[in-house]
Amino acid sequence: MKKISIAAACICTQAALLAQEPAATPPNDIEALRQQVQALTETVKTLQQQVKDQQDALAKMNAMPSTLPANENRATTPEPNASPPPLFPTTDESLVATAPPTATSPAGVTTTSQFPTTDASVTTSSETISSSGTGASLTAPVTIAGGGKTYMNISFDGVFSLAYSSDRDLAHLETGDHDPQQRGFNARNAEIALDGAVDPYFEGFANIVLKLDNDNETEIELEEAFLQTTDLPWGLQVKGGQFFAAFGRINPTHPHTWDFADDPLVHGRLLGSDGLRGVGAQISWIVPVSWYSQIIFAAQNGRGNTGYSFRNPGNNGVFFGRLTTDREVRGLEDFVWLPRWENSIDLSSTQVVLAGLSGAFGSNETGANSRTQIYGADLLYKWKSPRAEGGFPFVKWQSEAMYRRFEAGRGVDQTFPVSETFHDWGMYSQVIWGFKKGWTAGVRGDYLHMQDSAFTDDDARQSRSRVSGDLTWYPTEFSKIRLQYNHDFLEANDFLAEREADSIFLQFEFILGAHGAHKF
Amino acid sequence: MKTIAKILAATALLLTTSLTTHAKINVVATLPDFAALASEIGGDKVDVTVLAKPTEDPHFVDARPSFVVKLRQADVLIDGGAELEIGWLPPLLQNARNPKIEAGKPGRVEASEGIRLMEVPATLTRAAGDVHAMGNPHFMVDPIIAKAVAQHIANSFAAVDPPNAAAYQANYKKFEATINAKLQDWGAKLLPFKGQSLVAYHNSWVYFAHRFGFDISVFLEPKPGIPPSPSHLAEVIAQMKAQKIKAIIVEPYHNRKIAEKVAEATGAKVVDFAQFPGALPNTETYVELIDALVNRLGAALQ
Repeated sequence: MKKISIAAACICTQAALLAQEPAATPPNDIEALRQQVQALTETVKTLQQQVKDQQDALAKMNAMPSTLPANENRATTPEPNASPPPLFPTTDESLVATAPPTATSPAGVTTTSQFPTTDASVTTSSETISSSGTGASLTAPVTIAGGGKTYMNISFDGVFSLAYSSDRDLAHLETGDHDPQQRGFNARNAEIALDGAVDPYFEGFANIVLKLDNDNETEIELEEAFLQTTDLPWGLQVKGGQFFAAFGRINPTHPHTWDFADDPLVHGRLLGSDGLRGVGAQISWIVPVSWYSQIIFAAQNGRGNTGYSFRNPGNNGVFFGRLTTDREVRGLEDFVWLPRWENSIDLSSTQVVLAGLSGAFGSNETGANSRTQIYGADLLYKWKSPRAEGGFPFVKWQSEAMYRRFEAGRGVDQTFPVSETFHDWGMYSQVIWGFKKGWTAGVRGDYLHMQDSAFTDDDARQSRSRVSGDLTWYPTEFSKIRLQYNHDFLEANDFLAEREADSIFLQFEFILGAHGAHKF
Repeated sequence: MKTIAKILAATALLLTTSLTTHAKINVVATLPDFAALASEIGGDKVDVTVLAKPTEDPHFVDARPSFVVKLRQADVLIDGGAELEIGWLPPLLQNARNPKIEAGKPGRVEASEGIRLMEVPATLTRAAGDVHAMGNPHFMVDPIIAKAVAQHIANSFAAVDPPNAAAYQANYKKFEATINAKLQDWGAKLLPFKGQSLVAYHNSWVYFAHRFGFDISVFLEPKPGIPPSPSHLAEVIAQMKAQKIKAIIVEPYHNRKIAEKVAEATGAKVVDFAQFPGALPNTETYVELIDALVNRLGAALQ
């Protein structure tokens, strides 16, 4: 207020000067006078600006230029609502809280509003929300760590399980590397996940998994680390680095997002216990049609245990009984080629269907020219209540089927007696019912058919089936406790006897930090 | 090869048709309150698509693949920001690959930008339940804030579609005038109850309480996002009796039965509230929604 009076005083003084001086001054001094007047005008402007700035500063501790037009007149609001009363005003003074319509009439117009229609304490021009200022009684004056103010999301996710099985060899009964591996406690998936924008062109993602083997030794794996474009035209996106193949629904996701404590049999046995992943590059395209349709195409090295059905040297150089070749890439045929096409439509405002077809084509190490082809089909149906709280209740039905044609050669130097072609297939289907907030119940059926062979005695080639049921409690989205029961049935073949097993798992998980949201 | 050629031809056709038919700008709003404002400002010059349903929990919307298509075609995206949609919007945006709606572009309206959020936590700990690191993001139920968001939207539309800029600004002026007039009405209706305490199921009414002079600091949830426990409800009932609280605010996705039990024990009334236009009968527009809230609360406190 004082500043405004000073400014007004200045203006008056100068006006008086202007009124007096011209008459008393010879014409040749007019130019000089004009300059003087101009200089004075500048001074007035500067003063006005200063007044404005200071008021701004008073109104908000952080006076930044308005990015929001919400209160363009706020600058000259005569501070009536520096600390707005928590209840709406009843006296006349506070009813004048409305900002004057123009910046140059600070003391002028007042409105006759009965109820304030502006409130500088709720709208601010500042980007930072951490500052104190007017309305500080309502807005805690703190600085935020994280919460969109960091360069990346950093999270730690630990999944543990307590397991019992009637079968002693849980490590062979369970097909996934992150599944429980022994009776007792298991820590098979503790991951550090990082993600964020690299620059305006790329996003980066890394997932580093630590796990404890049955002797409590720490194993570490660079599960994923990739770069993804954000700004390509025509609905294209390119990804490069170490990543999970976009094959079906289970393979590209991390174990902590699964609805059961273990891997479906068909996934573990056809794509591998660690999932199909590797170093490579991927391009995807959103087909410009009215529904969701995406085509994904990737190439990966496919070498090692994470390329299980491909260039995998196997255990101690043996895969499906053959001594493996373990060779370098000779040509394009030695990469794993990974096409996928997925489509989704909304059946209604509460129902979604997502269906996909996937393929994985490459060489394997059991012979000089042996090839592997895997085909997959997946279907997801989800219903969610229109009045869902925390995402519940919902029903989710997910199924996947895979078929693998595996040319098993005669091994290094034709050391195996025969070459065979295996036609292996399997599927799983699961229904998850989120029956109340934080609670889900699930059932799953698994079937795996491995072609019989009179020559190949690998225990990974046993046909089998499984039924599972589980009950999960998510206290919040950052923790879960799951009880699961499995009944396994392993069929007899030329080398292995029929076997049954009952297993029970108690799984628990926690997430710390900012964990990126998951895809549908 | 022939099929590829066909696909390419079909694509080209689709692209050209979409170019020629898109006289209107495509606006996607994450939540129905933003969509309602977008319709006010855009009028017949925009097509507004909303992602979440008005009756569902805005924090836990499924990241449906069909949303990717909608975001892909958007000229403008209006979202709440401040972690309101953090559980589902980022993967959609990642997959949508639409540079027009990237943060910082004229086609992106983050409604919380320029809003002084309340209840910014002094320390971040999830022991406090669902905390919002940047402050409480349920700000749209304050009409004064809605005006600011509306102007933000008008500016975005004007930048994206300059030929209609004047129309958008005019629509904003109209909206502003309506809200200013309505505020008198709403303020007068709730004036007799000023200073009263209310109970809410979830802490999403702090801005409404601030605007109209209520105290909403007792919640059926022991902590945000944590389901009510019997012991906590017993405490709530005791507090309600002590403070003579007469109304319990519930939203469509809350467990109304729990609120009814508490109401029975205390003689209070359950008031069906909603943050989003469309969640209550005859609330298609923002003004209709606030009308309904004010009338319902007034009736309950009578």
